[in-house]
Amino acid sequence: MLLFVLLLQAHEIGTSRVSAQFRPDSYAIEIVTDATALGEKLEAAAGRPPVSVTDAGKLKRLLLDNDASFRRKVSLRFDGAAPVSPEIEYTVVPAIDATSAAAATIRLTGKIPEGAQHFTWNYGWTYASYAFTARSQTQWLEGGSQSKAVSLTDVIVAPNFYETARRYLVLGFTHIVPLGLDHMLFVLGLYLLNHRWRTVLLQVSAFTIAHSITLGLSMYGLVSVPSRIVEPMIALSIAYVAIENVFLNELKPWRVALVFAFGLLHGLGFAGVLSEVGLPRDEFVTALVMFNIGVEGGQLAVIGAAFLLFGWRYAERDWYRGRVAIPASLLIAAAAIYWTYERLTGVTT
Amino acid sequence: MRIFVLWAMPLLAHDMWIEPSAFLVENGQNIAMRLRVGENLLGDPLPRSSRLIQEFVIEDAMGRRAVVGREGMDPAGLLRVMNPGSQVIGYYSKPSQVELPAEKFNEYLALEGLDSIAALRARRKEMGMDVKESFSRCAKSLLAAGAGSGDRVLGFPLELFAEKSPYGLTVGESIPVQLIYDKRPLVGALVVAVNRMNPALKQSARTDKSGRVRLKLGAEGMWMIKAVHMIPVGAEYASFWASLTFEMRAAVAVSKR
Repeated sequence: MLLFVLLLQAHEIGTSRVSAQFRPDSYAIEIVTDATALGEKLEAAAGRPPVSVTDAGKLKRLLLDNDASFRRKVSLRFDGAAPVSPEIEYTVVPAIDATSAAAATIRLTGKIPEGAQHFTWNYGWTYASYAFTARSQTQWLEGGSQSKAVSLTDVIVAPNFYETARRYLVLGFTHIVPLGLDHMLFVLGLYLLNHRWRTVLLQVSAFTIAHSITLGLSMYGLVSVPSRIVEPMIALSIAYVAIENVFLNELKPWRVALVFAFGLLHGLGFAGVLSEVGLPRDEFVTALVMFNIGVEGGQLAVIGAAFLLFGWRYAERDWYRGRVAIPASLLIAAAAIYWTYERLTGVTT
Repeated sequence: MRIFVLWAMPLLAHDMWIEPSAFLVENGQNIAMRLRVGENLLGDPLPRSSRLIQEFVIEDAMGRRAVVGREGMDPAGLLRVMNPGSQVIGYYSKPSQVELPAEKFNEYLALEGLDSIAALRARRKEMGMDVKESFSRCAKSLLAAGAGSGDRVLGFPLELFAEKSPYGLTVGESIPVQLIYDKRPLVGALVVAVNRMNPALKQSARTDKSGRVRLKLGAEGMWMIKAVHMIPVGAEYASFWASLTFEMRAAVAVSKR
């Protein structure tokens, strides 16, 4: 990127742009350039006075009349063979106001010779530097200089199903571990209530079902809550769960209901993250489901780690609640209250 | 997305000039300033780039002010004529770097009349060596809003100064021009005048001991006077491209204003 910036500094870049598209047997190249400037150059090349034409209709006629001349300074080659002769379609978009210029869009199309491996491009109708983009690569060229060869055979892989699935799975997981300390502490809060598997399972299931619902609804645009409301409430939900752990050590029905409600909130928070990243249009459901599975994986990793670190060996001990569960819950509550304040006031440290 | 960037070599160095939407203007009129790069006054627009602009100014009877514009847009500058008299527009760019193959560079030295650099390269036995060059643009445009339409010195490193206002000349007369480098007259430099509609009327001359040339303006329409100066900087070179654009009108049209 730095290199890109340095090079940009070094060149006088004009307003022309060229992009090339290749299908298995055909090509389409589009030149967008200042129509008046091109018209002047074509007229001068034909030995006529280079009058500045600004009317779009007249410019189009001028370009059509000078087609043979235009072709002389444009070269399309496959594998270094003699230049091919494309079909050319000229269009001129009128200027939008008195100070702007009409734009010519010139489309060159044709068949790719069978078995062709490389394509090279040369455009001589500009004096400034211009961007030539083909197969996701941009080359900055000077008018009249030849492009580097563009490979027609290198396979550029579009992200497929598995790649999309993997990306969003990782994204979901990392949103919990290690990036989502608040979500980690919430899940830890659920685990600290007591060490029975049924307690953990019921709470985590309620939480999961709930956040899946709001995440899905948000991503389909059916629900939208601003993050300035969602984020402080998420922090508050963590504080609530942690404080309740101090006074309670068995699973009450309202706790499951509350965890479900909190899950709805956290789902909105996950949706905020996912909206920032975006979901691919053609793999929308895959990405959404895999992100959610990633989030589940993250939560289970937190619980698994807590179980391995202290739950497994000490949860049955008499001192576990007094020395581990309650102090840890208080720490979580303190952090969550601080976050609530921070998110409500916008004060960050 | 990954960004792949490749730069190709420029074939030859090009001229750069300022092309206003009008040369003969009225007080209060809005004018668009296009920057253009090309040859024989045929060129491509250069959109405004703050990366390149060192100074982009207008100087009139009341002093100097910046020419404003929108980044990335063509025309690069927009301004309103605020005071009658001459309107001198100046664009001085930050240096741009190019690398040129030896052959192209030698060709360009010959084309732009940079004989002393060619001689230096020969002395240094560098004629076969590729070159790194940084070039800066020192473009001016002279507009007239009524009487008192003389040129002004803007203080660019290389500057063409019209010693008589072209708006007081008639077609066929010569314009006296001084070429100034680093605040002093530049001697022996090639100065060329080009008319947009009649490239065949191109005039050129070398500056005398006082840095002066006289060039005949044999046609109406837009003219550009240009000169290039180059200096060695260690093993590399720095060049300055001065241009001055104005318009010649038929005598009757001018006297009416």
